Amino acid sequence: MNKTSKIVIALIAVLVIILGVVAARRAPRQSTVQTANAKEPVKIGFIGPLSGDAVNIGLNAKAAVGIAVDEVNQAGGINGRPLEVIYEDGQCSGQAASNAANKLMNVDKVSAILGGLCSSETMSFTAAANNAQQVVLSPCSSAPAITNAGDYIFRDYPSDSYAGKFAADYIYNTLGKKKTALLYVKSDWGEGIAKVFVDSYQKDGGQIVANEGYEQNSTDLRTQLTKIKAANPDMLYFVGYTEASIAGIKQAREIGLTVPMMGADAWDDATIWSKVGASGEGAMYAVIYAPMNDTFRAKMAAVVGNSEVTTCSPQAYDGLKILAQVMNQVGTDPTAIKNALYKVQYNNGVSGQSIAFDQNGDLVNASYVVKVVHNGQAVNKQ
Amino acid sequence: MFSQIIINSLISGAIYALLALGFNLIYNSTKFFNLSHGTVGVAGGYVVYGLAQLWGWNFYLSLLIGLLSAGALGWFLNYFVFSALRRQKASNMTMLVASLGLFTILQALITIIFSSQFQILNQSLPQIYSLANASITQIQIIIILVTLLVAGALLLLLKKTLFGKMVRALSDDEGVAKIVGLNTEKIIGWVFFIGSAIAGLAFIFQGLDSGLEPSLGLGLLLKGVIAAIIGGVGNVYGSFVGAFLLAFVENFGIWKIAAEWKDAIAFALLVIFLLFRPQGLMKR
Repeated sequence: MNKTSKIVIALIAVLVIILGVVAARRAPRQSTVQTANAKEPVKIGFIGPLSGDAVNIGLNAKAAVGIAVDEVNQAGGINGRPLEVIYEDGQCSGQAASNAANKLMNVDKVSAILGGLCSSETMSFTAAANNAQQVVLSPCSSAPAITNAGDYIFRDYPSDSYAGKFAADYIYNTLGKKKTALLYVKSDWGEGIAKVFVDSYQKDGGQIVANEGYEQNSTDLRTQLTKIKAANPDMLYFVGYTEASIAGIKQAREIGLTVPMMGADAWDDATIWSKVGASGEGAMYAVIYAPMNDTFRAKMAAVVGNSEVTTCSPQAYDGLKILAQVMNQVGTDPTAIKNALYKVQYNNGVSGQSIAFDQNGDLVNASYVVKVVHNGQAVNKQ
Repeated sequence: MFSQIIINSLISGAIYALLALGFNLIYNSTKFFNLSHGTVGVAGGYVVYGLAQLWGWNFYLSLLIGLLSAGALGWFLNYFVFSALRRQKASNMTMLVASLGLFTILQALITIIFSSQFQILNQSLPQIYSLANASITQIQIIIILVTLLVAGALLLLLKKTLFGKMVRALSDDEGVAKIVGLNTEKIIGWVFFIGSAIAGLAFIFQGLDSGLEPSLGLGLLLKGVIAAIIGGVGNVYGSFVGAFLLAFVENFGIWKIAAEWKDAIAFALLVIFLLFRPQGLMKR
């Protein structure tokens, strides 16, 4: 290294040290400024798929959160302070969600994070959030592993240990199918449900004749479907997000696999059924039962432009309201919020009659309903 | 199931073959790895989507316009970027990086205009035929037949026409071709047009058969590149054979192994060929 390089490096090092000292000295002063100003907005971060796979579910949930925020602010905000949500795109991917969470926690300094929606989003930042003592409330992530993600991690959406079991019992007992083939996406969500499904179905007495996984961004599932067809199942349990499901459902019918299909909660997305056309006739899926009410539905229709309320939107709305309710009681300190959440009782929600959290931050109960697709529309199965 | 795997291999092989043919054609003439080749094809597919589905134009007309657009886009990229770089005597590494940049820009543009959602080019239920205990759809039969036709036509073009002779001369030695008086820049422009149009055809087929996503551009192209390499870069027959070989190995390989290893098998095959027979199956 010649002399000029050494001087340049030394100057840069000095500059960095000066900037570091300035930033460190500024930080404590900033937070005192914030608490002193009572009109500073309370900030909550939102992470969900606003592009890519499951974008329809993400945007629908964003609309629901927007409605909840307006209602909270019209009722006076959080102890007089306006509530503001910062929306970040998790892209249904761990990497994007992790970056989003870092930005929300370290740059925007939010008081809580409402998100992620996809389990892969949530699981990418719960460790960091928990260590930083940041409250996370996911309105959609169902991977069983999230139950043990930490003290500060909550969800108002049931774990897939319920969903997988419900599907297994439904297929075995209600539909009477004893030989099922399993096709699932290799993501945190897909693998979680698949494992619970296999365990429950086999415990019921059923036989898993084929067990095929696929990478999340695959759109060619023909090989897996060929192997499944060769195994002669009488039912297909297909756990997939929107894009692969569109391709998979069409391809299954194209290679002559005619057995009935059942999917998981991600199939509660109208774009799938409008795109697969006749191939989707008779497909079923289990989704969380959310009572909703007419006011909520009307507001959603006004924002979204159609009557579709996808899975997780009621939970996102309630999630925001729960956080607001708790913050009204205890303020914006994350540890206080966390402690209050464990004791919260939220009634007359749109996603459930009464919501409370158990010692792991999971919902205490869950109920599912089965929907079936006829002519491109999903209706409750009688 | 055996027959279904054969049919699946034929379909994948056909699409890989189209990509390999176009890529090979361009590589022969310009000697650099054009990573934007795939995305130019995807753009063509999206033009068909935009015209036929969003605007409701006649499907065959949209198809033709899609092909021409893909070709034109390839031609433009060559005219504005690659030939400028060549004039500056840029190295192959520079051109590869430039093509990578173009790929990124194109993919982002497509995503901005059309969203990154998965789109299907035709909505109706396809006509399914049963053949030896396996199923094949009408579209898939068309894909295989058209690919054979295109490969045949390309071969005829290269071997029997004057233009084909010029392309072969150019790929042999660009310097001598210039000395002999060939307008190499014009020929390369046409090569890009034809190659990109073929790539467009590949992605239109992909869109009709399963569906289009902006991110398909690089993945499928890489399969085409593997096909071209194992078939013998520089040889049209070679890319064709390489493509079907790749497809068969992939599909039969995952018969017994879990299906998510498909891409791993493809690249493992590439590595094996590079180690033991780098010149590919067929020599120039």
